[in-house]
Amino acid sequence: MKANMLMIHFGELSTKGDNRKAFIACLLHNVRTSLKSFGLEAKSDRDHIYVYLNDSDPEPVIARLKEVSGIQRISTVAKCEPTLEAMKLAALEVLQEEGGRTFKIDVKRVDKRFPLDSYGITVEVADYVLDHGDFEVDLHNPDTRLKMTLRVDACYLSCHEELGLGGYPLGMIGKVTMLLSGGIDSPVAAFALMRRGIRVECLHFASPPYTSMAVVDKLKDILACLNDYQRDIKLQILPFTKIQEAIYEHVPEPYCITIMRRMMIRLAVAMAKKNKTLAVATGESIGQVASQTLESIGVIEEVTNFPILRPLCVEDKLSIIAKAKKLGTYDISIRPYEDCCTIFKPKKPKTKPHLDDCLYFESKFDYESLIQECLAGVETICFSEGKEVIKE
Amino acid sequence: MIYFDSAASTSPSQDVLDLFVKSNVNQFANPAAAHALGRDAGRELEECRKAVLSAFHVDKTHSLAFLSGATEANNLAIKGVAFSYQNRGKKLLFSASEHPSVTEPMRYLASAFGFEAIELPVDALGRVEPDTLRAYMDKNVILVSIMGVNNETGAINDLKALAKIVHEYPKAYFHSDLTQAVGKIEVPYSDIDLFSFSAHKLHGLKESGALVYKSSIRFVPLAHGGGQERGFRSGTVSLALNQCLCLAVQNSLRNPKADEAKVRPLFDALYEGLQNEPVTINSYREGSPYVLNFSLNVHRASVIMEALSQKGIYVSTTSACSTRSDHPSSTLLAMGKDMETSSNSIRVSFSTDNTLEEVHRFLEVLHQLLKEVHPR
Repeated sequence: MKANMLMIHFGELSTKGDNRKAFIACLLHNVRTSLKSFGLEAKSDRDHIYVYLNDSDPEPVIARLKEVSGIQRISTVAKCEPTLEAMKLAALEVLQEEGGRTFKIDVKRVDKRFPLDSYGITVEVADYVLDHGDFEVDLHNPDTRLKMTLRVDACYLSCHEELGLGGYPLGMIGKVTMLLSGGIDSPVAAFALMRRGIRVECLHFASPPYTSMAVVDKLKDILACLNDYQRDIKLQILPFTKIQEAIYEHVPEPYCITIMRRMMIRLAVAMAKKNKTLAVATGESIGQVASQTLESIGVIEEVTNFPILRPLCVEDKLSIIAKAKKLGTYDISIRPYEDCCTIFKPKKPKTKPHLDDCLYFESKFDYESLIQECLAGVETICFSEGKEVIKE
Repeated sequence: MIYFDSAASTSPSQDVLDLFVKSNVNQFANPAAAHALGRDAGRELEECRKAVLSAFHVDKTHSLAFLSGATEANNLAIKGVAFSYQNRGKKLLFSASEHPSVTEPMRYLASAFGFEAIELPVDALGRVEPDTLRAYMDKNVILVSIMGVNNETGAINDLKALAKIVHEYPKAYFHSDLTQAVGKIEVPYSDIDLFSFSAHKLHGLKESGALVYKSSIRFVPLAHGGGQERGFRSGTVSLALNQCLCLAVQNSLRNPKADEAKVRPLFDALYEGLQNEPVTINSYREGSPYVLNFSLNVHRASVIMEALSQKGIYVSTTSACSTRSDHPSSTLLAMGKDMETSSNSIRVSFSTDNTLEEVHRFLEVLHQLLKEVHPR
């Protein structure tokens, strides 16, 4: 008996009440979309989604499913009639297919009307297997661990299980506007949001010629990586040069970064409202740099009452780097082009800026019109499955 | 578009492109194949080899290996000679302003194989003075590598005088990286034991270059295999690519004086025009007119390069191979320039396709940018 289907176990749905159906429908849709190129069918019931393999190799399918958020585990399963006889035969066949010498059987009896209890079924099936095959039982370190789940309609047998991404189905939680600099942190933050089920739209502040337009190529490569988790991503590029220049003309050096971040948040919120997203997100981690102290965050966030998410706020740099490497964005992020955060680096940035000072410095120039000008010059690029699709 | 980056690469000329197609269509067989078609291709390849050597007037004394470019040629020359002749001595000399494809193999030989690789200091203009070389020479030296024209500044070495000093020591070979020199300055080709160049700097194709060497020299190969290119470089040889290299060399050596006469006014105009800008010129007037290097006194070179690029003017900061790293130019440092100057240099490099109008336009745009762009 060959394992001919995949059983997808849901992520964090136990806290969901009436929404449960909607979450499952969303996940089923995402699973179907992601498996389109394999031509495989998927169906759902209250507890699982089933993917019918039709003799195709499960490995690439599982690898693809591991990029779909909202999946807790993926098991490769075989199915048989919910009778003791059928279960005995199926168990023997599955174990023979696996080829191990020692085994252990775990039975879960969902259908409580079945006359034998879990232990009873385990003993019966194991006895049959020992009598009819060349196997031994090892309860501690078996070659094959066979899981049997007895339901009303069928019994499911599985020897292999892999962890999925977890989180929620993408799109279930709404969408946010993510600030993407090209550095190491922001792609990791974007991924964290996607994993949690949040669709991400990206903004980048470009300051040519102070930043190289090669950064945009870098961003494209980063988005191609993130496309594994969100199949289409929008990137909007905001022309930030004039605002940068105005800041450096009117604001004392230690405050430049603070004021720059305040301008960025103003622009991001304006874009978020325009794009109808529900929050702005950044890759900031508390304390990492001057603009990310709690004092700075407070002063910067003063410009808006719009929600700002910081998925990495308590992560250490080393753990962010490890995650970026796993995600495949690290090598792209460290390409040494100037991005908006590294140019005009003040020698002594203010780590504890005061709001009064910020307001005073900002009163010295007409940033409002510069912001409007910036918003009017936005360029949009869309990415789908690793390729640039539309340029507005 | 104004393309001022010919030291990084030139556009292939039309006759080279046509020849590449024609040769691939007519003679696609493997030049090492034993059948008639292969033998024809093989014969053509040998004729092509002779033609390149004739163009340099070294066909009686030198041989040639077709390679992927000057980087491979420099590697073969340095590692090949060092390994082959290490019983004669283990000392290697190279100038402090060499391209990484010379300095890195040298350092590798020193760190991994116990060779003594010594950097020769250069003068303030970036040249190795013959007396300096003389002071470093001894009977343990087996190879001296000094480039013809510096790729970053256009500084010219007196190859004739340098070769003469090396040849006072019978066990030493003189190698020169002539990538920026072929067709651009007068070179005493027959005095040089080994020289390297790339076709794409001569309006030829990329991934194509050669090492020309005295016929008596034996190398330890970099790539072992089927024994092509006299065993110095195994792998199927592209007849078409090498015919294109030959044509590019012939074109570049046809009339170097006339080419220089076209480019010299561009260099002079740029040199003069930069006098009133906040820049420090690192090239000198008697150097190669094809390259002019200057450092920005208060601006960041990468920013100005990007701003020029946005306006369709293409120059480079140090050499294209190293723009991905923030390191200062080792050539400028070797010339005694400070860190800021060495980290903020711009290289303008010409070909005969450029015009005086382009230089004037460049100066105009640069002047505007240096006024508008925020200093570093």
